[in-house]
Amino acid sequence: MRHLIFTVLFVFIASLVLGGCGFKDIDKRFFVVATGIDHSDNPNKPFRVTLRLAVTSPKIEPGAGKSQLETIDAKTIAEGVRELKAYVDKELDFGHCKIFMIGEKLARKEMDQAINWMTRRRDIQMIANVTIGHPTAEAILKIQPKNERYPGNTLFLSFGKEGTDSSYTVTEYIFGMRKRRTEKGIDPVLPIIMPENETYRISQAGVLNKKKLIIILSPEETQLYNQITNKYLKSSLGGNVEQDPYVLAVGRIQSRFKIKNNAQGKPVVEMRIKIHGLLEEAPKLVFDKDWASIEQELAKQYSKSVVRLLKKFQRQGVDPIGFGLKYRATHYSGGDKSWQEWQGIYPNIEFDVQTRVTIEGTGLIK
Amino acid sequence: MINRILTMFADSKDLITKRMKNDDISIEVAYIDSLCDESKISEAIFVPFSRNFKPFEEIVEFSSEFKPIHEMTEWASSLLRGYVLIYINSKYYSYDASRNIRIENQNTQVESSIQGPQIALTEDLKDGLNLIRNRYPEPNLAVEERTLGVSSKTRIAILFDNRRVNDKVLKNVKKKILEINADMLHSAGEIVRELGGNRKQLFPTTLITERPDRISNSIAQGKVIILIHGSMFGIILPITFYDLMNTMDDQYESFWMSRTLMVMRYISVLMTVTLPAMYISIVSYNPELFRVQLAFSIAGSRSAVPYPSFIEVLVMLFMIEMLVEASVRLPRYIGSTGTTVGGLILGQAAQQAGLVSSIMIIVTSVVAISNFVIPNNSLAFAIRFLKYPLIFLAVFYGITGVCIGMFCYLVYLSSIRSFGVPYFRIHRKPARNAEGDLGQVSSS
Repeated sequence: MRHLIFTVLFVFIASLVLGGCGFKDIDKRFFVVATGIDHSDNPNKPFRVTLRLAVTSPKIEPGAGKSQLETIDAKTIAEGVRELKAYVDKELDFGHCKIFMIGEKLARKEMDQAINWMTRRRDIQMIANVTIGHPTAEAILKIQPKNERYPGNTLFLSFGKEGTDSSYTVTEYIFGMRKRRTEKGIDPVLPIIMPENETYRISQAGVLNKKKLIIILSPEETQLYNQITNKYLKSSLGGNVEQDPYVLAVGRIQSRFKIKNNAQGKPVVEMRIKIHGLLEEAPKLVFDKDWASIEQELAKQYSKSVVRLLKKFQRQGVDPIGFGLKYRATHYSGGDKSWQEWQGIYPNIEFDVQTRVTIEGTGLIK
Repeated sequence: MINRILTMFADSKDLITKRMKNDDISIEVAYIDSLCDESKISEAIFVPFSRNFKPFEEIVEFSSEFKPIHEMTEWASSLLRGYVLIYINSKYYSYDASRNIRIENQNTQVESSIQGPQIALTEDLKDGLNLIRNRYPEPNLAVEERTLGVSSKTRIAILFDNRRVNDKVLKNVKKKILEINADMLHSAGEIVRELGGNRKQLFPTTLITERPDRISNSIAQGKVIILIHGSMFGIILPITFYDLMNTMDDQYESFWMSRTLMVMRYISVLMTVTLPAMYISIVSYNPELFRVQLAFSIAGSRSAVPYPSFIEVLVMLFMIEMLVEASVRLPRYIGSTGTTVGGLILGQAAQQAGLVSSIMIIVTSVVAISNFVIPNNSLAFAIRFLKYPLIFLAVFYGITGVCIGMFCYLVYLSSIRSFGVPYFRIHRKPARNAEGDLGQVSSS
């Protein structure tokens, strides 16, 4: 018994060392709420790291969220962050940094190093959002929205699930980004943040290949991309039927695709989209009209625009939807062969998109 | 006789001895004044003896109230229990004239119930037996009387249903009672401690209760009860952790609500044990566990605090423990002053002075309140202690330490046996008519 007590005591005392220097009180930490990484045009110090640090206060009021901006040019990102520590009085903590912004210029050039740093650093959470800042990440971080209750709130809410759920905003986490960068057959899509009168506009997305930014989608294309990759998305669908404008508030949208050979033996992507929604804008007396024809017309227009978007991806050689991944999964032919096959197939593949729109109501009681 | 007694009780002023004589016979009487009810004595002995309507020796011989004494060794103990010794015709008799001072209030005070029976045990053993016999009118109810304590000679009664009781447990209990050789025993708690022997226990393995309904339920479950003369509490054993977390109201109120309350109680046990440790480990090791808002507001409110988080926690916990301890011991008139001074003034001022953060005040009060939710007092004490080792672990190892500490507690709880019955058994066999809940492991 005595022996046991001494053993336990010894193990305990010996393991006291294991705690190390982890103990750091919350008020002795500087929380980074957003990190920006830009290209600095200086060949010796190519990275410009911008950190937005939260100045905490016990009161949370509108407009009380103050933050401090620190910028540094460095040879590598990690070195920059380490050097920045000398500029501030507390320990930098990336635990609450939910936004990582990569400057557009850097994104167009090469973003390997930035992603690498994010995935390796211990206190960066893999569920942080990766974004692209336009024109530069620094410019975006300099904006301090007036209604922020605490620093960084606006950006957190824009990307999180609890704030706005705009159909124009694409979200991508670090882990997802990493997956899309390493997985063959699917390419990353990042939201692009643009400055707009002291606040942000996040309505566009950039499509990347494995290395760099290739195309920037327009807001309409971004919504289209969101619609065909999500299931329950509050979004809208517009179109003209006999010169009358119709807008459908989409409640549920479902899309699935298959890669097949068509009758002529040519490979084709068969995409089937089902849309349910209520009419939000429609001409008068729509209730008495024949809905089926409206549905068909809207579906036809929608399919056409989806094909246009997919063709655009195809032309640039990017694949953000993941057709290649699907092909690899369903056409396994040993080793890397199916991937090589796909690389031959994709540039010439045809798209067959068919949409079924269901109008559930006119939004009015008759 | 009187001479002998006088030599036995050398300096007792309250020992009364009398030699009396009437027309037929002379008797000797001895009793301790302070233990006896004088009116009872005069009614039963002095009046009939002096009037002498009927020969007094016949009264003594035929009345069941007068019990013959054969051994001289019994004299002292009978006198000290408030009996009158009578010497008549070269025979010795004792007569019970004891006067017990006790609280007449029979309302439950410690374990109050809202709609259950409101009566509690009293300090008199006989009344206690009466209450239990009334609630458990079975011929199988066995009552054994003993005295415990070399000097205190406390009378106890061991109650059990001899058809339902687990023999192993009963034998174990009796053996342990025989082993007790303390000098003074007054309360249920002391006896419980003596029953535990040399082992230093943290968790109560017996249930101390004042409710006769609880006791009779336990007898029906085959448990053993110890009642103590001079204490308002009885001891139920063996028990499980579940019994301690259970109130009688759980059986008296509707099913779903009482189950919900039970779940709430377990959650609050978890909170009162882990919250201070979790506060330290989250604030000082892993602040990313909080939501952003909370992290920022805690960081903001803590920025005025000069000490590290664990000192803050220890200061506040020490204060709340003092407050709880003071309010238990204070007389009722000053009690409210204590809570006002402690709760309002100290709490508020400590935060404004920047000694503790406002979140810490919430943590402390949650810890205290959730501790009060535990229905059994001795379990609440045990659980009050549990948080301190965890705080220590949290300071050095963060969340990992807290998890390991909780694991150790679980292992410890599972290793405890209450008189041979597994203590931390969650599965409970429903008590059927002829079966008790006594643990499948030991009885098999």
